[in-house]
Amino acid sequence: MDLRQRNLLRERLATFQAAAWLMVLGLGLVYAWLQVVRRSELQKLALSQAVKVRTTPAPRGIIFDRNGHRLVDNRRALHLVIQQEDLPKDLSLVEALAQALEQDPEQMKRRVQLARVAGTKKSLIVQDNLDDASLARAENLRARFPFLSIEVAPRRVYQGDELAAHVLGYVGEVNPQLMAKEPGRYQLGEIVGRSGFEAARNDLLKGQDGQRKSLVDHLGREVALYGLENSTPGQSLYLTLDAGLQKTMQDAYGEERGAGVVIDLRDGGILALYSSPSFDPNAFLGHMSQNDVDQYVRNPTQPMVDRATQGLYPPGSTYKLLIALCALEKGIITPETTFTCHGKKAYYGREFRCDAVHGTLNLIQAIARSCDIYFYELGVRLDVDEIHATAAKYGLTELTQVDLPNELPSRIPSREWKAKHGRKEKKWYAGETISVAIGQGQNGLTPIALARFYAMLGAKGKVLTPHLLYGQRDQTGQMVILPPPKPRETGLDSKIWSALDEGLYEVVRSGTAHNSALPGVTMCGKTGTSQVTTFVDKAHYRTLAKQFRDNALFAGYAPRENPQIAWAVVVENAGFGADAAAPIARKLCQYWFLDRLKKPLPPPGGKLPDAFDEAQSDEAESSVLPEPITPADKVLPKYPEAGAQR
Amino acid sequence: MSSSLTPSVVNKSTRNLDPILLFLALVLTTLGTLTLYSAGKGTTHQSLWIRQSVWNGLGLLAMLLFSRFDYRRLAQSSLPIYVAGLLSLLVVLFIGHTVAGSKSWLSIAGVSLQPSEFVKWLVLLFVAHRLGTKSPEALNVWDLAGAAGLLFFPMFLVLKQPDLGVAMTYTPILLLFPLLRGIRWRWVVAGVLGFALLSTVVWNYKLKVYQKERILTFIDPSRDLQGKGYQVNQSRIAIGAGGLWGKGYMSGSQTQLNFLPVKTTDFVFSVWAEERGFVGILMALALFGVLLHRILAIAGEATTAAGTYFCVGAAGIFGFHILINIGMVSGALPTTGIPLPFFTYGGSSTLAFFLALGIIMNIHHQAKSR
Repeated sequence: MDLRQRNLLRERLATFQAAAWLMVLGLGLVYAWLQVVRRSELQKLALSQAVKVRTTPAPRGIIFDRNGHRLVDNRRALHLVIQQEDLPKDLSLVEALAQALEQDPEQMKRRVQLARVAGTKKSLIVQDNLDDASLARAENLRARFPFLSIEVAPRRVYQGDELAAHVLGYVGEVNPQLMAKEPGRYQLGEIVGRSGFEAARNDLLKGQDGQRKSLVDHLGREVALYGLENSTPGQSLYLTLDAGLQKTMQDAYGEERGAGVVIDLRDGGILALYSSPSFDPNAFLGHMSQNDVDQYVRNPTQPMVDRATQGLYPPGSTYKLLIALCALEKGIITPETTFTCHGKKAYYGREFRCDAVHGTLNLIQAIARSCDIYFYELGVRLDVDEIHATAAKYGLTELTQVDLPNELPSRIPSREWKAKHGRKEKKWYAGETISVAIGQGQNGLTPIALARFYAMLGAKGKVLTPHLLYGQRDQTGQMVILPPPKPRETGLDSKIWSALDEGLYEVVRSGTAHNSALPGVTMCGKTGTSQVTTFVDKAHYRTLAKQFRDNALFAGYAPRENPQIAWAVVVENAGFGADAAAPIARKLCQYWFLDRLKKPLPPPGGKLPDAFDEAQSDEAESSVLPEPITPADKVLPKYPEAGAQR
Repeated sequence: MSSSLTPSVVNKSTRNLDPILLFLALVLTTLGTLTLYSAGKGTTHQSLWIRQSVWNGLGLLAMLLFSRFDYRRLAQSSLPIYVAGLLSLLVVLFIGHTVAGSKSWLSIAGVSLQPSEFVKWLVLLFVAHRLGTKSPEALNVWDLAGAAGLLFFPMFLVLKQPDLGVAMTYTPILLLFPLLRGIRWRWVVAGVLGFALLSTVVWNYKLKVYQKERILTFIDPSRDLQGKGYQVNQSRIAIGAGGLWGKGYMSGSQTQLNFLPVKTTDFVFSVWAEERGFVGILMALALFGVLLHRILAIAGEATTAAGTYFCVGAAGIFGFHILINIGMVSGALPTTGIPLPFFTYGGSSTLAFFLALGIIMNIHHQAKSR
């Protein structure tokens, strides 16, 4: 190489060197852009994926009966979840996941999107209550879908299955309707009471969710713990319910449909409330099987409806006490006033029938033998609005205010009512009052309203508020009884009360329900039989299908000397009230006044007889607080809390 | 190769070790190994830094040997070496084993080697030797076409493995030669057009779906945040999180909590960036800059044209690796599995880089002792 060539070469190589430094400079600029200009933004991103705040669900309060038997318990359950910050953006992943879990892909996509929009700290439950097999499968799925994680959460266990489903209700994720109704009150994915007491007292039972702030790796595994805000368990509550009486009622109903309520006359506490057919609340905690859906939700007998607070039944002859009360208070009759029954009589040009030819009877006898003619006569002498006013005075027209959701008001007809709700006719006809007088026609009472009316009679004019909340469990595990709702005095005249009391006593002693008299307990009550379809004659009635048969009712209180409980029992399509409903009430009294005292239930925590076996778990197993998922004993101080660095 | 090593041509003195290149190699290797240690801590790659240290030791040894071995003698036997290299690539296609979809590994006595990493340098040596009969001025189109032909066979075999990343690192061998000779603008334009045409053909007929996906993801990283885009995204977060001064050694959250993927190989430089910050980056870039500068300086003082060509080619290869890898982890360039010299874990590439440095040192030594 000559000099000229070497110089040219050196020149070119110098250019290459310059190019190399230019390249280094260029790369330096790229890094300056990331490490200097976009520093804080990217540092925040790094922190946000390494430091996670997760909700630790608070265990809901346990629900006991009045004697401390566990009706609702908590167990630890494992859920397959997606943490809020891990929600995948790629919906095809969600679809693949749904297919792997054999769930509806569209629904899961919708839930994922909803959860992202909501932006809460709650995790999205993909599959709940994992058993061993599904836990193994979930672990495999996590390899494929790293955004999944497994969460320990308390889970409800409803003891006795169908025992008190309508009282207790069940829990589930808050639904969009409820969230829309009270915006800001619930978080998406929050577990709330969906029905029954769980819903009515959700605020007391739910507790305060905790938070755990931790450092996680790329798989979401906790590496270190920064902050732990323990969850506050919900308040454990005692119900006024008596598990033994409830069980007695459940057994007494058997396959029959209907509802019964027993009220404690001291304070209005509900000792038993059963709606038949019942359902198993445990079936509603997770993904429902098709079988459960068919059995509970699509069943024409509507097991999900609480007949005790939402079923409107014509009260039949149980209504006669209100009519008698009204007539006595108006001074239209005295207890000694007599009418004569010929088995039938025409009013306003239409013939009205009685069950039998009772002859001449006074009020006491008319109640005892449930003579319709006597009360037709009262119906002729009373105005429907007077009856309505009396019903209002004794608390029949209002809601009972029981602490259960969605209670329906009873339907007590009046002129105003008909003007508003009458289908074709808006005008009230006197003939209709005749029907009302024997509890037929437009009357519709919920069993709990009927029970409260008879509780009022048993309590000599005190209108009680039926309620389920009895007490709460304090820190030391002791029951603290909460003050019951105050009763309302109606100023019921004691002479009038005595007459009604005697009539109700005669019903069981010598009248329609004498077959259900219970030796040793003086029961007072009134039978009722309300027509479901038009009565033609007895031969025709016998040919009717079950669902057209009469509803049987029996309402009353006991014992007469010192009333302690009142009840209303309705059995659908069972026929005559004295035959179908009164025996159930008798069984309730048998248990409450005799068996319970002779053979009390074992103390709480021990074994209950029969179906209670599985209901009672030993205390250790049903521990309430979930263990932390990973022991977080080491804290790396190097990473500041999210947001601290800007 | 070592069979041609005879005592007569080995210079016993250590003066032939260029102190600048030696310093760079030692410093970069140390930084790289420290970074590997941090990246592997607590993972299944925990002991990777030890293995890499062994390779580095072997590499330094190879560098020492080749710095004393007259490169002109080496160049003279570069034809059989080239043929042997081609054969090794052919053998790999039959008995090689597959890692990450590429059948590019040979197992020899329990040690896995990647012949394509060595062949890169053998090809350069042969090309430099062939063109070495002419000065840069005298190089004509046919010379360069012939050299391209020599490049074609090994590249073809590597693409058969298929390993696009390594095959790409063969191209810088020739890239600088036309520029060295001096080239008219029209040829640059023609080259760019030709490249565009070639790219179209390759895109449509040659690229695998995953390769296309890589390129598309490069253009729009949010396209695939869970997959390939995830890697680049996490890498950018790691780099940015390092900030000016870095999170401190072994304290990068992206690195230590495994958000950063393939952090011992392709993305090892992000570990350095997160833990050492922009200051550390400037330091590393400066070291790489000096490395390229030094190699090109040696090219200028080489006693033979072949020596110049080898150094220019080597600068091209080193520069390409540095540019593509450092650009790639920052998201400025598409994701490709191209190792960063002295940082990325890998025995074959490490050994080959040191070997090349040894030859360059010898070129420097020959010039100095003339």
